[in-house]
Amino acid sequence: MATPAALPPLPFNPSRVRTYVLRLPLFTRLVLLAIIIFWLLELQTVWSVVQWGSIIPEEAGFGTMYRLNTYPFIHLGFFHAFLNVLALTPLLERFEAEHGTLTAVALFIGPGAYILIEKFVLHRNTAVTGASIWVFLLLGSEAIRTFKSNPYFSLGPYKIPTWTSPLFACALVSILVPNTSFLGHLCAILVGYLLGLGALKFFVPPEKILRWIEGKLNLLGRLPHYVSVDQKTYGRYGVLPTTTTGGERGTPMSFLGTSQRLVNVVGVAAAAAVSRPVQPTIPPHHQPNHHGTTSPNAPDPMALKSAVRKLRSNPHFLFVHLPHILSFICIVAGVVWLLLLPLNDYSRQTYISENALLPGQVHAYFSGSEQHVFRGYKKELEGILVGQTEEGREGRNDEFTPAVSGKIQSVLKAAGLKVATQNYEYTSSGLTHQGQNVYAIIQAPRGDATEAIVLVAAWKTVDDELNLNGVSLALTLARYFKRWSLWSKDIIFLFPPDSKAGTQAWVDAYHDMQPAFVQPLPLKSGALQGGLVIEYPFDHRFESLHILYDGVNGQLPNLDLFNTAVSIASGQMGIGANLQEMWDHNDSYEMRLQTMMRGMVKQGFGYATGPHSSFMPYHIDAITLQPKGDGWQDEMALGRTVESLCRSLNNLLEHLHQSFFFYLLMQTNRFVSIGTYLPSAMLIAGNFTIMAIALWLRTGYYPYSQQSPVGSPVEKPTKEEQAADPPKTSNDTPKPDTKNIRERQLALPLTLVVGLHLLGLLPLYIFNHIPHTYYNPATYTTILANAVLPLLLSSSLTLTHGLSTQQSHLIKSFSLLTLGLFLSALATLNFSLSFMIGLLCAPLSFVNRINPHSVSAPLRHVLAVLALVLLNLLSPPVVLVVACAYFGVDVESVLTQAAFGWDVWGVWTQVVVCT
Amino acid sequence: MGVDRRKAAVFGGALALRLLLLVLFPSLPDLLTGRVEVSTPVTSFKRLQEGLFLYTRNVSPYDGGVFHQAPLLLPLFSLLPNSQSFPLPTAVFYALIDLVNANALVTISDSGQAVSGRFYSALRKHIRWDGVSIAAWFLFNPFTVATCLGRSTGVFTTTGILYAFANAATGNSLNAMLALGLASYLSIYPALLFPPLVLLCHDQQVQTTKAPSGAALYAVRHFAVFATSIAGLLGISALLIGDIYTFMSATYGFQLLVPDLTPNVGLWWYFFIEIFDSFREFFLGVFWLHLAAYMGGLTVRLRRQPLFVLTSLLGIFAIFKPYPSISDASLYFALLPLYRHLFPLMRYTFFAISALLYATLLGPAFYHLWIYAGSGNANFFYAITLVWSLGLSILLADTIFAALRDEWEHDNPELRGKEARQV
Repeated sequence: MATPAALPPLPFNPSRVRTYVLRLPLFTRLVLLAIIIFWLLELQTVWSVVQWGSIIPEEAGFGTMYRLNTYPFIHLGFFHAFLNVLALTPLLERFEAEHGTLTAVALFIGPGAYILIEKFVLHRNTAVTGASIWVFLLLGSEAIRTFKSNPYFSLGPYKIPTWTSPLFACALVSILVPNTSFLGHLCAILVGYLLGLGALKFFVPPEKILRWIEGKLNLLGRLPHYVSVDQKTYGRYGVLPTTTTGGERGTPMSFLGTSQRLVNVVGVAAAAAVSRPVQPTIPPHHQPNHHGTTSPNAPDPMALKSAVRKLRSNPHFLFVHLPHILSFICIVAGVVWLLLLPLNDYSRQTYISENALLPGQVHAYFSGSEQHVFRGYKKELEGILVGQTEEGREGRNDEFTPAVSGKIQSVLKAAGLKVATQNYEYTSSGLTHQGQNVYAIIQAPRGDATEAIVLVAAWKTVDDELNLNGVSLALTLARYFKRWSLWSKDIIFLFPPDSKAGTQAWVDAYHDMQPAFVQPLPLKSGALQGGLVIEYPFDHRFESLHILYDGVNGQLPNLDLFNTAVSIASGQMGIGANLQEMWDHNDSYEMRLQTMMRGMVKQGFGYATGPHSSFMPYHIDAITLQPKGDGWQDEMALGRTVESLCRSLNNLLEHLHQSFFFYLLMQTNRFVSIGTYLPSAMLIAGNFTIMAIALWLRTGYYPYSQQSPVGSPVEKPTKEEQAADPPKTSNDTPKPDTKNIRERQLALPLTLVVGLHLLGLLPLYIFNHIPHTYYNPATYTTILANAVLPLLLSSSLTLTHGLSTQQSHLIKSFSLLTLGLFLSALATLNFSLSFMIGLLCAPLSFVNRINPHSVSAPLRHVLAVLALVLLNLLSPPVVLVVACAYFGVDVESVLTQAAFGWDVWGVWTQVVVCT
Repeated sequence: MGVDRRKAAVFGGALALRLLLLVLFPSLPDLLTGRVEVSTPVTSFKRLQEGLFLYTRNVSPYDGGVFHQAPLLLPLFSLLPNSQSFPLPTAVFYALIDLVNANALVTISDSGQAVSGRFYSALRKHIRWDGVSIAAWFLFNPFTVATCLGRSTGVFTTTGILYAFANAATGNSLNAMLALGLASYLSIYPALLFPPLVLLCHDQQVQTTKAPSGAALYAVRHFAVFATSIAGLLGISALLIGDIYTFMSATYGFQLLVPDLTPNVGLWWYFFIEIFDSFREFFLGVFWLHLAAYMGGLTVRLRRQPLFVLTSLLGIFAIFKPYPSISDASLYFALLPLYRHLFPLMRYTFFAISALLYATLLGPAFYHLWIYAGSGNANFFYAITLVWSLGLSILLADTIFAALRDEWEHDNPELRGKEARQV
């Protein structure tokens, strides 16, 4: 159907643009290509193209002569390159078409160019890059030729000589665009004038030689788009020149066209240089060739179009190879992206976003006599431990007995705090974890009990060491804090007997979410604003602070809290800070990458790394401070750090919200935020979606594409269109035969995929409910089932239904689609987990059903077995990981279980497909 | 008998699935009731219980500004035992309502109005599913199941609408008007379905009786029935509540003026949160006008397929109404399989369905990030509701394109199967 009359006709004809672009002569194409390639090269950061190839007067010398040839191809940025390409294309194209490719090459590159350009470029001090020199040079010569035929513009009464127009353009450009070299452009115009006047004729290589070269090499026959020296005067216009400059064919003064064209050209140059997206309005009678100026990246559409044409004629490539290539590129790009992150250009320096925190702005007074108090408390606790140890036993009984609990309570009561206890009991994997939390609250002298900060000192650390110093320090701090009158938030001191279950029970109960076997809290305060965990499991002095921040399910505390801790520890207190167990971080790329990877692995497993982890699900930001190493910092330094942190948190006016919640840390002061790292996970998830879409299209389109009418590759031609194609088929009664083949048989694949995913719930349930002693056999059974089940399933399917290629493609399509769906949903919740699972599953998009006809039988079996082994290798580790996770950690969150379990399902589905 | 056995199996299976889910996951209904995707302020079961509590204690249910649903639901639900202590009767009641809806779908499908009407008979009418399959699509659609377990009162509106369609398709125009009256009484927007529904009734009457009566007179007469049914229901409500003004402003005023901007899957809440109050009335008018404008255009353009107009309008309501939920989408998805013969003509099904799946998964994830984890914000969820609406819009536009293409091929048999471009 025709274009409706209501739409205004386009100012140019797109098909003309296309022919123009397709007919660009050889040298022009090469120049444009070079410009684009150099621009692309400049994108990377390792090797500065500008430094290498631009003309820098100080570096002029014989060794750097190449710069004279390279500088026009090199640009400083996208807009610089783009605008120059826009302006240069028509001018260069015209020059080449009129003078022949060889002349253009000889003039613009090579000895001629040296002499031409050396004169006017080298006396400047700035580095010169860009093709704008050429633009103005050609513009100058054009202007002279225009001047010869059409000397004046008349603007009212004034007559302006036409040769001045490049000067105006030059002035305009230098005014409007910063950092352009007015002098350089001016020189270029001058040389252009000289060229136009024929004064530089002697630079042009003799025509005889050119002809000889051309003839010897048969350039015309070999090179596409080559413009012969002979053709040049008649050029592409196919008309004879209107003015013949007798005998001067080497530097023709022939002029074609009207002054209007020149105005246009100038307009284009100006528009291009000025970076205004103004396109010259081209009058209808104008030569079509200038419409080419409207196509921005001249070679690109050309390449694209030919590529598209090639694709259309090659559906096998389009539907089978291209998706594989694309998804492979996606995976590679995702991984490379991740590897780039530690570079300075992609990560950022951390900063405190919440101004209220004011880290390290107050003096910490915790010192001096408090140390005696600390020692006293420690002695008392030690005394109890010695007292509760049976006679004649090796070592000490470090259990958190009621005596210890009573001691802690009495100390807290003596300090004037309100004390309460909570009993809990968890059963997981057949093991029972029970204990009693002791906690106490300092009511804020300046607050209204609506907000609180938690300080946790677990009796046993995460590594199951006795945290005697930590508990004593917390007790001392409780006594010390109580005497200050500046708290505007309640401070809660929590002493759980262990680092995992106790805190979880307490936090659950604090929010009234506790399960039945956990007691509710008798005493509560306001909304928790932040949590700090103190661990000090040894007796000697320490060197640096290790900060733990990973939460359950890969949730992270607000980056501000971490930054505050780092800045107080290293800035105010002069204690070094570490993260992710990287003790000697020298800030190199490898160290950063390693730190980031460790963080990702921890985040991906998503289990608790310390008592602070239990706070995350309730949106309470918390970190653990662990002293590490053997140095000269004593417990008082740790106490001061905690005091200063509490003061900062005390300053908060609202919940921590300013800074990032999604980040990867690679050094205590460098991070990448979600916007920078998310694409890598999304690329990996995207590869599955690409494959799913490709397979879907393939089931509907590809096998019949030979007979079906041409449809655009994206739209699948409908069944009816295809049915209508064979002439014998009438539309009312299409043969059931054809119908069967073409219709996608969705029922079986859908049921299979849904059924298998539901089946995945089974191991999840089993692993959650059997006692831990059975874990090993259960794991092996699962692996065995993983290996056997798909074989059984696929053989039974093939036997009963005769699984068609289409159906197997559909099964794969659906399972990949769901995989992509889950991964991208997961990436927003737990980036690392999504990334890891995505990488593990990556081979799945490349396994295919092995075609029984194309491959000989033994080879087929070998291949099938290999694929099966590979996929099984991928799945059992994940199962094992689940088992390990349940072994060590009792309070795993549901999501992580589901995610891991789900991964197992995904693998199952795929294994079915492959065999 | 074979068909009946299939129907019994499908219906029994659907009932069993719902009860099984309830028994296996006893906390699931309460979870779903709290989800913003399932329950909107005008269909929430929680709010209904609040109203019920007030009503059974002889206080006006609209006191406190929580309850905004039609008053006739109250005596109905006061007959059921308390859902907190006895969840099973309520669940069974809702499951039965679903079955009733599915039954209406079977009737619509068996009438064959989807493929051939008075003016028009689809080219590919042999490609279709029978009523039981369509009922199965409806009953086993996860959105329908979620709505049923979430006990959204939107299902009653669905019942009204589906029965109106079923009666119109089988020629009981009076019943159709009464059913539509019920649906409009429960939630206003079904009243917009009146013109195409009257056309459907009229077509059906002309087809069966061969004694055409004046279309205008026919429409007026049916409008009178429709208006009377609404007036009757309002009258009963007035008797129940007493203060007619309170009840009108608490229910219809609430639905029309959209004062509650709790997030939902629609497009209104975010817009009206962001907008300055001085423009609120203007944009309310624009949004409602926009919603209503489709009715006229589609009715005229697709005059020959009134049932398709009705289906597409339901799709549009699912996108553009003020308090949409997944139950509206499930109603649209329930009617789509009637147009199985259009599926071969659709071009973007895979992409639309992928978008919907993505939105279904990412929606709860982003809501979690926003509300619970605190690491996201409202824009996360709103972006996903946009994707959801986009997916629905693509599907809707694609089906309308397919219907037009079908009509066009019907009119131009010589161009069948050729490529054509829409301009």
